[in-house]
Amino acid sequence: MDFHFSEEQKMLKESARNFLAAECPKTLVRAMEKDERGYSPNLWKKMADLGWMGIAFPESYGGIGGNLLDLLLLLEEMGRACLPGPFFSSIVLGGFTILEAGSEPQKKEFLPKIASGDRILTLAHTEPATTQFDPFLVTLKAQAQENYYLLEGTKLFVPDAHVAHFLICVARTRGEPSSREGISLFLVDSQSPGLHWELLTTVARDKQCEVLFRRVRVPAENLLGTIHEGGKVLEKVMQKAAIAKCAEMIGGAQFVLDMCLSYAKEREQFGKLIGTFQAVQHHCANMAISIEGGRYITYKAAWMLDRGLPCTKLVASAKSWVSDAYKRVVGLGHQIMAGTGYMEEHDMPLYSRRAKAAELAFGDANYYKKLVAKEIGL
Amino acid sequence: MDFGYTREEEEFRERLRAFLDRELTEEIARQNWEDKGVGPEAREFSRKLAANGFLGMSWPKEYGGQGLSPMYDFILLDELGKRWGAHVPLDVGYTMVGHTILRRGSDELKREFLTKIIRGEIEFCLGYTEPNAGSDLASMKMRAVEEGDFYIINGQKTFNTEAHYAEYHWLAARTDFNPHIPKHRGISLFIVDMNSPGITVRPLITMSGEQTNEVFYENVRVPKSRMVGDKNKGFYYMMEAIDSERNHVFTPCRLNPILNDLIGYVKETMFNGRPLAEDPKIQDQLAQMAVELEVAQVFAEHSRWMESNEIPMTYEPEMTKVFISELEQRLVDVGMQILGSFSQLEEDSKWVPLRGRIEWYFLHSFMTTIGAGTSEIGRNVIAQRGLGLPRG
Repeated sequence: MDFHFSEEQKMLKESARNFLAAECPKTLVRAMEKDERGYSPNLWKKMADLGWMGIAFPESYGGIGGNLLDLLLLLEEMGRACLPGPFFSSIVLGGFTILEAGSEPQKKEFLPKIASGDRILTLAHTEPATTQFDPFLVTLKAQAQENYYLLEGTKLFVPDAHVAHFLICVARTRGEPSSREGISLFLVDSQSPGLHWELLTTVARDKQCEVLFRRVRVPAENLLGTIHEGGKVLEKVMQKAAIAKCAEMIGGAQFVLDMCLSYAKEREQFGKLIGTFQAVQHHCANMAISIEGGRYITYKAAWMLDRGLPCTKLVASAKSWVSDAYKRVVGLGHQIMAGTGYMEEHDMPLYSRRAKAAELAFGDANYYKKLVAKEIGL
Repeated sequence: MDFGYTREEEEFRERLRAFLDRELTEEIARQNWEDKGVGPEAREFSRKLAANGFLGMSWPKEYGGQGLSPMYDFILLDELGKRWGAHVPLDVGYTMVGHTILRRGSDELKREFLTKIIRGEIEFCLGYTEPNAGSDLASMKMRAVEEGDFYIINGQKTFNTEAHYAEYHWLAARTDFNPHIPKHRGISLFIVDMNSPGITVRPLITMSGEQTNEVFYENVRVPKSRMVGDKNKGFYYMMEAIDSERNHVFTPCRLNPILNDLIGYVKETMFNGRPLAEDPKIQDQLAQMAVELEVAQVFAEHSRWMESNEIPMTYEPEMTKVFISELEQRLVDVGMQILGSFSQLEEDSKWVPLRGRIEWYFLHSFMTTIGAGTSEIGRNVIAQRGLGLPRG
């Protein structure tokens, strides 16, 4: 048992915090909410130069050979800074899927470019029929033709599709809409004829898209992984994505707590600092309990994923807990910040709006509790 | 970062499991922890635990221990907990006061008591709380006055749970009566033989049927050699020990059998021709409990890691304590909801489900967020010591 970070990990976390504090101020975060593209190419380039995008890729594919836990430390800081942009989409959803399922030529073609920041990817799984989260509910059809596949259907909530060079499209090649079997993954050039995206307007003002596939032709060599067996890949990618999202949420929640603590130590009412009131102290203690429990279970899940240990229950427990925890933390944060925190120009809403988006991403607490129920034999 | 156990720790766990599956009956488990209080069976079990090498792994070799990591004791607590055992039978000596004797006691006290503790032969009873010193423990009034080679002690303690079977009282009493010093600076710790003349123990019966006690001291003579550490430092020693005590008492595994019993129950119990296990609300409730048990586990793992590596703990075990004790209440509430009308039946009633264990835990769970410090004081500690918020 060891909860220590290595010296390298500590340095990584600290330098990421300092870098983002300088390069990703809240003015940029707010500007990017209104910006059509939603991120700063200048900052993107700097992050790539720091090696962040390849941190969890093997060196043979242009990465620096770290593990999932290393990436989580970065994501925690990104959540803290509300970093806008397609980092998560490109690295976690794109990179990890290719790492998991890609052929050697596909890995050689894509991963170094993702690691250098020159190519942006995302993953399209949710559909209009997904009225309750379920990554295996797939109706978008991919029909095999002579030397290509024809994709027809609609994907929703595809993050950063508007800036992605390639989308990994989760498609059905056989079987019933809810069957895990018969799902296949395709690398789709975003410039393909018949592919149309449109930005949705969301609570977090992040860039999630509707993507229409109208008879989109995908070359046969762009099949990612084994035909009909994409469900297994998707399951693994969803686990990593859920844990990566947990790290982002923990970083955001910690910032909210830190902000509240500073405020409680300077704001006076009734002639006293509000931080001396037990009601405020207990709110803060509850926030800390929510966050620390979430942090340790997230690290534990990452440790198990890195070792390839079976951890369906633990990953599900983590995303379930952290989704609820972040929601509780921002709720308590608003109580402490009160009127001032309700103002659009305050930082508080940046976090409470993102807490909702993160809660919903890759399944909320209710979805993961269904998985846990199965794991405990119900 | 590493969430695994060493091979030696895993081997210890395997041996322990085989032993407990054979030796730990429900009767002994209940004497360990629950309503019955330690009796002959639990005493016998305690000696067997020691004789088979399961006690004392983390204790110094010179007192009969193995000199290994505290992680072994935590493994022991986890495996007991999974079997309704919750802690070792003679718990106060082994997991609480023994550590303070080791840290602060004279060589004489260490020689006299540690080996017996590690052999599972003697038990202590905490003598802290008084009728007017609960959350505000430092305001205790029990008086210990020097007279030759003795202290003469007078006063009253309350909620001293093991007093009716422990051999020794681990007593905190005031030894400096200057009203102008902070009240926590005038307290000392003593080991008092419970057979000393002048001690009277009166039972207090809790709502869940457990016996705790009031203890009265009338001119009780305690040798000076039985003072633990320095005079007037007792409160510091109590606070210094509290984090480790929380780590040893509030173990998540002790909640596992409740959840497991409920899972078994919903699979076997029918409603309208379908097992309760198919009810989505019940699935969700039990899954939520399973999630929170995983969180409880990582809280405990984190605090234990700190203790095992002698990393100063400030609020972390408090967080573990608050979380696990409140989880116990949530879990029992879920259980009572699932059992419906049958949840109210007591152990000896016709039609009682799950041997009445859930109903007993329901009554017991009101204590868990109070005992060893309320959740509210716990949150004050987290906020002030952990988060740096100012005192009111």
